[in-house]
Parts: sequence; C-alpha cells; structure tokens
Amino acid sequence: MAATALTIDGLEVSFGSVKAVNNVTMTIAEGELRVLLGANGAGKTTLMDLISGRTHSTRGHIHLYDTEITNWQEHRIARAGIGRKFQIPSVFRELTVRQNFEVASCRNPSVFANLGFGFSRQTLARIEEVLAIVDLRDKADVTAAYLSHGQTQWLELGLLMLQDPKVILLDEPTAGMTAAETKKTAKIINSMRGKHTLLVVEHDMAFVREIAERITVLHLGEVLAEGDIASIETDQAVRRAYLGSRSIS
Amino acid sequence: MASRQRYDFLLYGIFVAAILLAPLMLEEFWLNRIAKYLVFGMLGVAVALSWGYAGILNLGQGLFFGAGAYMLAMSLKLASPTSLQQGSDKPVPDFMLWNAEPGALTQLCCINKGSFIWLPFQSQWFGVAMGIVLPVAIATITGMIVFRNRISGVFVSIITLALVLLVRLLVIDAQPLTNGFNRLTDLAWLTIGAFQFDPYSRATYYLVAIALSLVLVGARLLVSTRAGLILQATRDDETRARYLGLDVPSYQIFFFVVSAAICGFAGMLYVMVSEFASPTFMDLSFSITMVVWAAVGGRSSILGACVGAILINMIEAKVSETKALVEVWKAVVGLIFVLVVLYLPRGLGGFAHDLLDRWRARNAEAVPDEGLVAERRDTVAERG
Ligand SMILES: Nc1ncnc2c1ncn2[C@@H]1O[C@H](COP(=O)(O)OP(=O)(O)O)[C@@H](O)[C@H]1O
Ligand SMILES: [Mg+2]
Repeated sequence: MAATALTIDGLEVSFGSVKAVNNVTMTIAEGELRVLLGANGAGKTTLMDLISGRTHSTRGHIHLYDTEITNWQEHRIARAGIGRKFQIPSVFRELTVRQNFEVASCRNPSVFANLGFGFSRQTLARIEEVLAIVDLRDKADVTAAYLSHGQTQWLELGLLMLQDPKVILLDEPTAGMTAAETKKTAKIINSMRGKHTLLVVEHDMAFVREIAERITVLHLGEVLAEGDIASIETDQAVRRAYLGSRSIS
Repeated sequence: MASRQRYDFLLYGIFVAAILLAPLMLEEFWLNRIAKYLVFGMLGVAVALSWGYAGILNLGQGLFFGAGAYMLAMSLKLASPTSLQQGSDKPVPDFMLWNAEPGALTQLCCINKGSFIWLPFQSQWFGVAMGIVLPVAIATITGMIVFRNRISGVFVSIITLALVLLVRLLVIDAQPLTNGFNRLTDLAWLTIGAFQFDPYSRATYYLVAIALSLVLVGARLLVSTRAGLILQATRDDETRARYLGLDVPSYQIFFFVVSAAICGFAGMLYVMVSEFASPTFMDLSFSITMVVWAAVGGRSSILGACVGAILINMIEAKVSETKALVEVWKAVVGLIFVLVVLYLPRGLGGFAHDLLDRWRARNAEAVPDEGLVAERRDTVAERG
C-alpha cells in the first residue's frame, strides 16, 4: 500500500458568517490523481488556499507525509513539497518562457547561493525536456506576456514540473480553453501522473473522465461524496446537489 | 538571446571607453562638471536596479546619497585647514567654534553635546567606510520592516519618501552637529598615501569614471546572475515566486541594499568632486529627479538609466547658459517624462533596444532565432 501524501483533517475556515470550508477531511495517497468537483462557490479554491498557506485555517490539520504544515508561510510550504497552479494563470510575464523555467529550477532559495551565473547541464537538459512536454519549444525565447491563454496555462504547468514538488494542486487548469487545448492539457497532466501526487479542481466532465481515478465532491464547504467516476455519477446526494446544473451530465 | 547579450556588452564597452577617453578631448574645466554628471549616472544605475529590476520605486534614494555624502564630508571637514584654527593641533570644525557656548571646552570631545560623534571621523578611512556602512544599515533595517511585512507598490514609495524628509529635517535641526542649512563646506581633498585628489584634476575625473564603470558593469553582471533573474521574477509576480518556494523578501531586501550602497558610494564621490555636503541632497525634488532621469533613459536598462542621467544633465548645463531657456528646459524634461511614461514605459533605452532588435530582425531574416520581434508583433496584432 502506498504512503499517504496529503492528509486533511477536520479543516475549517470562515469568511464572516460563511463557512467556506467546513470540517473537511480527506486523504490522498502517494501518486494518486484526485479530482475535486463542486459548483461555483463550493470552497474548492479556498481548500487549495488552505493547503498552500494562502489562507490560514481556524481549525483542523494538514499533513504532508509526516510533516504538519498547517498555517505555515507559503514559501515554506512550497519548499516542503507542495506546488500550486492558480485559477487565473500566474507566470512571470516579462520574462521569456525559458527564463520562467530557469527561475522555477532554482533549488536553493537563498540569495547568496544564487549569486552565480547559469545552470547545471542537468538542469538545462531538464528544462528542454519540459519545454517539449508542454509544447513550448518554439516559444522558448518569447516573452511570457505574448503567449496565448492556453500556452500561458501550459507554461505554468511547466513551472510546476521544474519545481518538482511531491504534491501538486491544480485549480481549473482547463478554464477558458478550446476543446483542442483541453485535450492537450489532459495529456500534459497525464504525463505528470506517477511522478507527483495531484489534486485537480475541474468542472469539465469530459476532461474529468479522461484523467480521474477518484473524485471528491465538495458542496457548500463540506465533503458531499467520494468515490470513482461511476459511483459519483450515480450518487443520489450529488445528483440532488447538482439538480438542474450542467456539471454532471 | 545570447547575441542580444553580446550587443549589450558591446554597448557597455563603448560607454566605458567613451568616459575614459573623454579627458583627451575636454578642457580641465569641463572635467569637474562631467565628473558630477557621471556621479548622477551612478544614481541612475541605482534607480534602475531597484525600480526597473526589483519593481521597487524608492522615492528616498537621496537619503542614501546624503548619508554617504555626509559621512565622507565629516572626515574631510576635520582634515581641512579650517578645522585647525586658533593654533590648536586637534581639529574642531569651524562652525562648532563659532557657535560654541562661552566657556565651552574647545575640543571635539565636548565642545557641544553631540560633538563626540565626530571623534572617529578624524580618520579619513573611517568616513569612507561609514559612507557605505551607514546607507547599508539604514537600507537593511528599512528593507526588513517594509518587505517582511509585504508592503509593496506605492506604499514603499510613500514610506521611503517620508523617511528621506524626516532625515533631512533631522540634519537641518541638528545644526550644532551638521551646520544645518549652511552645509559642510571648506572640505579637504581626499588623500591616498601622499596623493591628493584635486577636484578639478584629471585624477579625480578618472577616479569617478573608473568607479562608475565598475559599478555599471558590476550591476549589469549582478542582474544576470540567477539571483538577478529571480529578482525580476518577484517583480513580475510576487505570489508566483512565493509558491515556487522562493523567499521573496530576502531578494527584495538584498537588491534594495545594493542600490542603497551604490547611492552612498555616489554621495561620497559627489563630495569629492563638489567639495560640499548639503541637506538639499535629501530634498524630495532631488530624489524625484533621479527617478525622472532613470525613467527617461530607461529603467529596465541599467546603461539606459545611466546615460539618461548624464545626458539630461549635460543638456541642462548647456541650456542653462541662456537664462530664458532654463524654465523652458524644465518644461521640456517634464514633457519628455510624461511622454515616456505614457508611450515608452521602458524609456529611451528600451526604445533603442527595440529598434536594434527590429533592425537585426530585418538584417537576418533567415536566421531562425531572430524571429523574436516579428513574432511579438504578430501576437500583439492577434490580440488587438
Ligand atoms: N477572501 C474571501 N473573503 C470572503 N469570502 C470568500 C473569500 N474567498 C472565498 N470566499 C467565499 O467562500 C466561498 C468559496 O469560494 P471558493 O473557494 O472560491 O469557491 P470555488 O473555488 O469552489 O468556486 C464562496 O462563497 C466565496 O464567496
Ligand atoms: Mg475556484
């Protein structure tokens, strides 16, 4: 049996009177790809904010393997081994694609350790590999601001691959993409499978079918159901929560 | 990209050669003036580092410039013959004597309440060292408070602006120690061994020109290190950098401090060249003027900001020979600033870069890696 990569235990946070995440408990096994499903405002992004340290929880615990990382600072959580892609793609817009990748490849976070020039041959080779995976080889020297929306999303995925964290959180990686782009994204995410433990927020059921093993459904900040695709699609509670909504189809 | 870098270093080489060869073509009288402008060029480098590369618009660079200037000026004041009046062999600044209470002991230790802090400045090298140490210390403390608390954008500008005004007031207010508005004047020349740096000599010009060359090339190398790249990343998207595990504040603090050290160094050179230190170094208008130089020259280009500062000052000097033109010139600089901010956010330096790229793209159509500019235009067109 695989080790547990991410343990979330009784996690809670409120914004005013709204409990955006309410007593959420879930575990994700090492190497698993878990999809997080839920209507708009269900608390998916907030859950990722809690895991990655952007928002501090008021109750509950988060463990990365055996390390408790609850309410740590973001860069410490990142260094402990959690990477994150944002719902609105976030890259270094004035740097070229290659420079973006070089930044993500800097293992040592200290200023003084980085006062040297260049990168090891190993790192450069890895950057070429990732450029190929995310299909940005011919854009390597283009400033990130000039990429299309889809390419920007892939660039951000590439950053995560180079950061090489144990656990990767992806918030709506296909939002705003064309069907062709979505397909390509599924391919990229599938290529990350096995090397990382993944938690992916996604609405597009076609896409979910393509990548998912297990699904957790969030509703109004709580875990509504958990299981494989077939069991989620036939789950009565899920159907009721989504009644009239296009999400489960 | 690599060839872009080669062009870049070629331009730096041309600039360094130009300032080192200038004395062959100029009368000595001009050397002193140009040396001052080279010092301003160094300030342009400091602004480009912090504003262009770190995204930190520091409106208080004058604080670090002033700190460097005063530290060296204190030493040079004590070394001046004017501090050895009344037959004493222990130096006391003349203005302290003039203002001394009747019956006060006319010695540096105790002529007034705070005069003892001048004691170590009897050594010139203490002043020189403090000219770097003090700006670095102030910048480190300010930087830690500001950046660790994730203060950013316009708030950093406001804090640095308030700080420079506060220190300016303190310097003016501490008249018995600093001579306040009346400045520190009648300074000795910097002495190394038996050699004295006459501000109007070639030697002083070369000292400044070599210092600027080293700072310029050093800063350019610094931003092409991995740390420099990471710094630009934090400028583009602090959050993204943080989620990649980078300790963003430590990069901001480091480059903020380097920029302050350059300003302090420039302050010392300015004292050598102009033979005074004044609270006006910490006027708000001076700090803002530095930003204008860098904006016009190109804040994203270290050489651009440096050349911008030098050229604006040279033109200004030419123009100010005619009284009527002085005001017109101010309006012209203001107008250029507004136009650059609106239409050329990367300044004239950035504009030159783009022209160069375009020209190279046209000259080397067939070479694959030269397609960058064309590509950019396409993508922009696509969006528009
Ligand atoms: N910073 C915040 N302040 C106040 N309310 C918030 C904040 N972030 C999220 N919320 C609220 O929390 C709930 C969950 O939001 P979110 O996690 O973004 O949902 P999802 O990503 O599932 O669409 C929503 O009701 C939203 O309005
Ligand atoms: Mg969301």
